[in-house]
Amino acid sequence: MEEFHSWDAKAVVRYPLYPAQRAFQASALLRRVSDEQKQEPPPSSSQQRFESHPPGDQPDQEPQRSHHSYTDQGGEESEDYESEEQLQQRILTASLEFVPTHGWTADAIAEGAKSLGLSVAAAGMFHNDGSELILHFVSQCNSELSNLLEEQQKLVQLGQAEKKKTDQFLRDAVEARLRMLIPYIEKWPQAVSILLLPHNIPSSLNLLTSMVDDMWHYAGDQSTDINWYTRRTVLAGIYNTTELVMMQDSSPDFEETWHFLENRIADAMKMGHTAKQVQSTGEALVQGLMGAAVTIKNLAGLNQRR
Amino acid sequence: MEAAVAPVVRGLRVGCQRLRYGSGSERKWSLQSKQTSFRSCSTGMTLDNINKPAIDRIIRVDHAGEYGANRIYAGQMAVLGRTTVGPVIQQMWDQEKDHLKKFNELMVTFRVRPTVLLPFWNVAGFALGAGTALLGKEGAMACTVAVEESISEHYNNQIRTLMEEDPEKYKELLQIIKKFRDDELEHHDVGLDHNAELAPAYSLLKTAIQIGCKAAIFLSERI
Repeated sequence: MEEFHSWDAKAVVRYPLYPAQRAFQASALLRRVSDEQKQEPPPSSSQQRFESHPPGDQPDQEPQRSHHSYTDQGGEESEDYESEEQLQQRILTASLEFVPTHGWTADAIAEGAKSLGLSVAAAGMFHNDGSELILHFVSQCNSELSNLLEEQQKLVQLGQAEKKKTDQFLRDAVEARLRMLIPYIEKWPQAVSILLLPHNIPSSLNLLTSMVDDMWHYAGDQSTDINWYTRRTVLAGIYNTTELVMMQDSSPDFEETWHFLENRIADAMKMGHTAKQVQSTGEALVQGLMGAAVTIKNLAGLNQRR
Repeated sequence: MEAAVAPVVRGLRVGCQRLRYGSGSERKWSLQSKQTSFRSCSTGMTLDNINKPAIDRIIRVDHAGEYGANRIYAGQMAVLGRTTVGPVIQQMWDQEKDHLKKFNELMVTFRVRPTVLLPFWNVAGFALGAGTALLGKEGAMACTVAVEESISEHYNNQIRTLMEEDPEKYKELLQIIKKFRDDELEHHDVGLDHNAELAPAYSLLKTAIQIGCKAAIFLSERI
C-alpha cells in the first residue's frame, strides 16, 4: 500500500505523484496565507466563502491575473508562517501570467517570483525545464473543471437545469477544459512536449486519468466492468486528439476544433452502439445454434433421459 | 484571533493529510468537510474521510471475488443444473448475485476502479465451476467448500483490518462484510453436507483451488 507517512515536501517538489491533491491543498492553504494582511473573519464566515467563490474578495497581492485561478477561498488565518510548499504554489501561480511572453520556462518562474517581491533566485527551487509550472497549471485547470462540473450537477439536482445527454455533456466538458488553454495556446505545444518527457510521464498520466475519471463520473457513468476502462480510454483519446487539433487551429474561436470534437464524440457513441448490437447478434446466434443442436439430438434420438 | 484560528488551521492540516489519497471532486470537498467536522467528530464513511487506498483495495478485491463466485456457480449450474443438486447450487448462486449487486453499488459510491482482470475471472471462474462439476456432484461441492473457505478467511482479514483502523467510521462496511462472510460460511457448510469430502482427490483439489484463490485475491487487489 502506498502510504505516505510523513509530509514529504521535497518529494512533492521533485516528483509530484499526486500533484492534483497536493497542488490543490497547498494552493488552497496559500489562499489563506495570502490574506495575511486582511482582517481575519471568523471561521464560520470563511466557510461560506468556500461555497460562494467570491472573486471580488481577492486582495491585490498577486498582480493582475488575466486567467482563471482557483476559486478564491477567502483567508481565514493570519499566521505568518508559510511553508515552502505554499510559497512554491504562490510563485507558480504568479508565474502563469508571464508564460505567454516567456514560455514555460525558468524565466517565467523568475518573473513570477519577481512580481511577488521575491528574489529572482527563487526560480532555482524548481526544475530547469518548467515541468512544475506546467503540472501546476494542469492540475489547477483540472480542479477548476471539477468545480464547474460539480456546480452543474448541483443545478441539475435542484431542478434548475436540464440533465444533458451523455454526448452533449462530454462535449461541453471537454470544450470547457480545452478553453482553459486558450490564453496559453501559443506556448502549449512546448508544454505538451515537456509533459511527455520520461520523468514527467507518471504525473501527467495521473492528471489525465483523474481528469477523465472526473468527467465520466459527472456524466453519470456507473459501469463496474471492463466498460469502465474502455470509456475512460476512449475519452482520453478524444481529449488528446482534440487538444492536438486545437494547437493547429486558426479558425475564429476555434470553431474547427469544436466541430472535430463533435465528430469524435459521435464516432465514440456509434462505436458503443455497434458493440452492443454485435453482442446481441452474437447472443441470438448462440441461441439459434443451441436450438439447432437440441433439434438434431432429438432427431437422432440421443436426448433420452436415462 | 490567533487562538481561534490555530485549531481550524490544524483541522485543515489534518484534512490535508487525508487529502493525499483523493482524486477528483472529493479533493475540494475534503477541506469543506474538515472545517465542519472539526467541531463534531465525523462518523460514517464519506468519500472524503476514508482511507481511500485501503478502501479502494477492499472494494475492488471483494467485487472481483463476488464476480468470480458468480461465474463459478454459473459454470456449475451449466453442468449440474438439471440434477438433484441443481436447486442447492441455484440458491447459493442467487445469494452470490445479491452480494455482487451490493458491491457494484459500493463501487459506484466510492468511485473505485474495478480490476482490469475481470474478463479473465469471467472465463476462469466459469471454467473452474464447469470443470469441477464435470467431476461429479461431489466435485462441485468440493470446489464450493474450497472457494468459500478462502473467501471467508479473506473477509475475516478485512474485518480485522477495518476494526484496527476505525470500527466506528467503517461500521456500515463492516456490517456488510460480516454478513457476507456469514453467508459464505453457510455455503461452505452446505458444501460439506453434500458430500464434498467424497470428491475424487479431495485434498489435492481443495489445496489447488485455494492457492488459485489466494493468487486471485493478490492480483485483484493490485491490478
